[in-house]
Amino acid sequence: MKQVVINDLKKIVGDKWVDQNPERVLSYSRESTNDNYTLVAPEPIEGSVVVKAADAEEISQILKYANQEKINVIARGAGTALSANTIPAQESIILSLERLNKILELDEENMLLKCEAAVSLGDLNERLKSNDHLYFPLHPGDEGAQVGGMASMNAGGVRAVKHGIMRNQVLGMEVVLPTGEIVHYGGSEGKLLKNNAGYDLMQLMIGSEGTLGIITEVSLKLYPEPKANGTLIVAFASREDAFAAVPAILKKGIIPMALEYVEKDEIELAAADIGKKWPAQNGEYFLMIMLSEAEEDDLFEIGAQIDQITAEHNAVDMLIAQTTAERKDILEIRSHILPAISDKIIDSPDVTVPRSKLCEYLNILNELEEKYNTRCPVVAHAGDGNLHVIILKEAGSKPDYYESLKKDIYQNAVDIGGTITGEHGVGEMRLEYLKMMYSERELEIMEKIKDAFDPNDILNSGKSIIRK
Amino acid sequence: MAAKKELLILAEYSQNKIHPVVFELLNKGQKLAEKADLNLSVLLLLPKKIDFSELIAHGADKVYYMEDPVFANPDEFIYKENILSFLAKAQIEIVLTGATNFGRSLAPRIAAGLKTGLTADCTALDIDEAGNLIQIRPAFSENILAHIKSDSRPQMATIRYQEFKKGTADRSRQGEIIALETKIKDNPNLKDIKKLSDREINIAEADIIVAGGSGVKNGEDFKLLKELADLLGGQLAASRDVVDAGLIAKEYQVGYSGQRVKPKLYFAFGISGAPQHLAGMKEAETIVAVNTDPSAPIFNLADYGIVADLYQVIPELIEMLKN
Amino acid sequence: MDKVLFDSEKGRIDRKSAGVEVNPFDLNALETAVAIKEQTGAEISVLSMGPNRAEEALKEAVARGADNAYLLSDQKFAGADTIATSASLAAAVETIGAYDLIIAGEMSVDGDTAQVGPQTAEFLNINHAAYVSELISLNESEITIKTSLWQANYSKSFSYPLLITVTKDINTPRLPSFKAKLKARKAEVKNLTLADIKEKLKIDKVGFKGSPTWVDNIVVPAEISRKTKVFSEEEKESAYHKIKEILIEKNLMED
Repeated sequence: MKQVVINDLKKIVGDKWVDQNPERVLSYSRESTNDNYTLVAPEPIEGSVVVKAADAEEISQILKYANQEKINVIARGAGTALSANTIPAQESIILSLERLNKILELDEENMLLKCEAAVSLGDLNERLKSNDHLYFPLHPGDEGAQVGGMASMNAGGVRAVKHGIMRNQVLGMEVVLPTGEIVHYGGSEGKLLKNNAGYDLMQLMIGSEGTLGIITEVSLKLYPEPKANGTLIVAFASREDAFAAVPAILKKGIIPMALEYVEKDEIELAAADIGKKWPAQNGEYFLMIMLSEAEEDDLFEIGAQIDQITAEHNAVDMLIAQTTAERKDILEIRSHILPAISDKIIDSPDVTVPRSKLCEYLNILNELEEKYNTRCPVVAHAGDGNLHVIILKEAGSKPDYYESLKKDIYQNAVDIGGTITGEHGVGEMRLEYLKMMYSERELEIMEKIKDAFDPNDILNSGKSIIRK
Repeated sequence: MAAKKELLILAEYSQNKIHPVVFELLNKGQKLAEKADLNLSVLLLLPKKIDFSELIAHGADKVYYMEDPVFANPDEFIYKENILSFLAKAQIEIVLTGATNFGRSLAPRIAAGLKTGLTADCTALDIDEAGNLIQIRPAFSENILAHIKSDSRPQMATIRYQEFKKGTADRSRQGEIIALETKIKDNPNLKDIKKLSDREINIAEADIIVAGGSGVKNGEDFKLLKELADLLGGQLAASRDVVDAGLIAKEYQVGYSGQRVKPKLYFAFGISGAPQHLAGMKEAETIVAVNTDPSAPIFNLADYGIVADLYQVIPELIEMLKN
Repeated sequence: MDKVLFDSEKGRIDRKSAGVEVNPFDLNALETAVAIKEQTGAEISVLSMGPNRAEEALKEAVARGADNAYLLSDQKFAGADTIATSASLAAAVETIGAYDLIIAGEMSVDGDTAQVGPQTAEFLNINHAAYVSELISLNESEITIKTSLWQANYSKSFSYPLLITVTKDINTPRLPSFKAKLKARKAEVKNLTLADIKEKLKIDKVGFKGSPTWVDNIVVPAEISRKTKVFSEEEKESAYHKIKEILIEKNLMED
């Protein structure tokens, strides 16, 4: 980055908040991607600079300046995304939002929490602990994830079956547009439950992966904390049985908080890695079902129904955790799977299929395992039809069939009505597969939307959508 | 004239020495005894008599001791039988003992034997206007401090190690050393007792932690931090990224997915301060952070920050401490 | 218990905000008992002193393998300190009948005094071992445990009866099966009141009146707010000086 640019940036944010130290710039250029998918994640292009803005006002000035100088800007949160979304592919201003870390308001009347972009999920939950009856349901795994990033990536995660994904949680936002204007969505207060005026630009912003604007403030929906909570672990001897039970449960009208699928090897490894023990001793394949009900009687009535349904699908065991500590342990183990196996894996496409097609997709996976003579462990937000198919290393390195297997995993999902990514997003790593899903015309519309927001293409250029 | 009543410190003699908490209690006990107009005494049970002059130099007016080979092992039953036999006849107003594992196991038995009150894990003590002991302890996950009093005698409390300072020795002090008879030497229910090993170290219990993060370039360099930790009698620890990078073993990891620690003093060397890490150490009493990046988030949490290279700072600190 | 609210207007704990979950340390105690039951065919009784809503916790224990559940509950027990609690529990134990081994969790997560175990042993006039982290061996006449005392690990072998308090290291409690929990929800919890245990009591009064200690005052300590003082590289020396001061102030300098 040219020295004159550095100097100009320092004028905006102050000397202390512009960092060119190559080691730290590299560190800010990497994501969890570089840890988890070492062999397939792109290496950052050098020469970027890290800028830590104090507020929306400074960000606005930076963006105006970047437009003038035609410099790429990448908004940076906790770096927990898994799609190479914030890894610079060119010399860029890495705009870290870390100083925007204040929780602004807990509004009990409107049941929402308003906070700045860099508030982490962990901080948010900590703050809500002091409140007796409201909570935030979403849990994408890493509690270091920041709400701004979660919104711009439209994060999902474990507890999305009942209340939905990030798109369903955001009531309002403050956003700095690529051209520097500061705008508010969800009304000027960001507190609207309904807004049917014009195109919904807020929803467009959610999941735009930092290409349409920089989210600086988010209002999140809170929910009354249910009184009776229980986590069921249902063990199966076969994958097919476990997956077949999923639509059967949901068909009954049972709506759990989470309905997860995990396999023995990975979950035991994850547990051991954080010094805990996976509670199930029988079975190889597990459904982890988190129930939240108003009364304990409801919890057990639903539990009994699940017990009956899963028994019909040859479940070998069903355990229940009701104490807070034990439920938390189970969620923590589940969330730790990816970090625990990161040195064994190449990639894990998070394809999503209609729930009814889960079994069909599994049969396809079995065929793929045979075709490539490998094993593809699966971790799944089964209730959402969202699978993480794991591609393993072979002898510590990338197998030659990797590209071909990955393409098969994506194409087969799309062919049965699915998508190439249910939650991780496109970033840079899934760009080329977008064409599996969208026509020329659809891709062109996306490009035009990008142009409308960001005429000079300065914001996270080259990510999320294909440009000609 | 009736003899002055006493404030008694029940001393732990283990690993062939008087546990250091005893000297801290003597220092505090002197002030309490003065305020409540009591004599300060110490009771020791030990396998073989030692020189007790240190106890007197640190404030004891009287040192009672029982000497018997049976006290070579921590058998609460024998200890409490003998201590109860002594307390039955003594004029004790207050009994204080360290909240070590043995203290926390033995003191409740004695209190129950006397049907007197006992407050666990006090962090502060005082005497009210009427001369009663105020026992202060954190309660409910340290959110509040409870001030507790007892209406029975003796008033008893266990006190955490390193809550009070050790005083300075006054070798000119005079005191009385009194041998007591060991009344009970047999516990028919205890069939065997033996030491297996000295306890392994646990960073969760350390008072000083010297932690390194990604600023530490390779595994070898943790030796530098270890040297500082050893010098301070502290423990080595690390943040997640260096553990993940294989530079140091998982058992050293502090953070959300590692151990949560609460030392008196926490050194963060080359740790940027990811929320993951902060979750594990933010409750440390005092945090000193050393980082070359002035905007590292750790500086928002630390009490003291030094914007400098750990490779420069640590050797200089070691140098200073050695002198 | 995950969270307890402190009412800063009333200046006291709102215990209603606390759940009635099994104290996590007690789950380790129960798991120890279940493992012994599997090995020897022993019968497990669980006993808790608390309000009526503690029945739920006892049913959880039944789901996990306890055979009998007793709830010691009486208005007159309210306000008990550890002495009054231990004396009441000891009297209940003697009322229930013969026993070989009493297992308790290391401490409760709310009071965390770790006193009730050893005090109960004293009222029963039996041996106890605290901080038990391993059952080394056990048979009909003798039990050998590992305990951590005097900054070392010891093994101790006892004949029965004995009371032990166990740490979290001793095991990982297993989850109950759903069917067992469903069944246990209908399990009978036997109620004991003051009248039931009166003859065995070794103190004159129970509850607040039988408690020698009381909370005289509660103080909410000021939040730790850290005012960061940052030293630049040039000011390193004064930073070192400050570190030395802290070490002395906190009494952390090695002798």
